[in-house]
Amino acid sequence: MLYIKCPYCGLRAQKEFSYGGDATVKRPNINEEVSSEDWDNFVYMRKSPRGKHIELWQHIAGCRQWIKVQRDTATHEIFQTAKVTEEIR
Amino acid sequence: MKNVSALENIHKHGLFGNYDSKDELINIREIKDVLIYQIVKYKKSSISIDKIKIDNLNLPETLLVSSNTNTRILWMGPDNWLVVSTNKEIEKSILENLSHDDFALTDLSHSRTILELEGSLVDEVLKKGCPLNLDGLDEGKCSNSAFHAITITIDFISSNPRKVRIFALRSFGESLYHSITDACLEFGYKAE
Ligand SMILES: [Zn+2]
Repeated sequence: MLYIKCPYCGLRAQKEFSYGGDATVKRPNINEEVSSEDWDNFVYMRKSPRGKHIELWQHIAGCRQWIKVQRDTATHEIFQTAKVTEEIR
Repeated sequence: MKNVSALENIHKHGLFGNYDSKDELINIREIKDVLIYQIVKYKKSSISIDKIKIDNLNLPETLLVSSNTNTRILWMGPDNWLVVSTNKEIEKSILENLSHDDFALTDLSHSRTILELEGSLVDEVLKKGCPLNLDGLDEGKCSNSAFHAITITIDFISSNPRKVRIFALRSFGESLYHSITDACLEFGYKAE
């Protein structure tokens, strides 16, 4: 099992979290013309990297907050976690 | 209006499980007829919570509980608290001290099943289904977690004797009760 450090609650078991996908996907700007291709990319297309990946997780059985987690998809090592309003570099 | 417990036909008083063993029994009781309010501070609000008092209690910081004999305020998440009280005037106290512009108040009094567990083996019971590290979670702390995949809130009421309250959504009450009592069987428990 993974242990994820919630920025609010501290180190918790993966059981308390749910996975929310790639945290680097940016929604096309509001009130701007969006091409079908850009919209398609935003909605459906995802990278599947081997290695470091920044993800969204929700502490669903905890403080209910969405957080960012930088995780290695091959080793599952977690390098960093942050609030959604913070950046992971 | 009478509040009918979700455990009305489930929670039978008596001794169960391995109660003849030398282990200290675990006492299980249901906490009923308490008023429960959720307080959420709006994201757009910039008000400081430091001076706010509800039933003379402040809104606690991360994973803490503020309490007096009638009321317990539990931290649920950032800007989110749960008030659990036997004080019939608690709603008045909340409304007097929180402004509508800064806080959302929701009455959840009928929405939870609450079990109180007491005894030296309570942590052993919790460990069977809950992934929390219980070290340091002593008197005056609280945390959300899961027990066999049921989302729960644990209020660590006292360390000596060890006493905790476990909150689950009312609709999960029966399931939680069976999960908890099943975990207690090996030690023996007294339902009261
Ligand atoms: Zn959390």
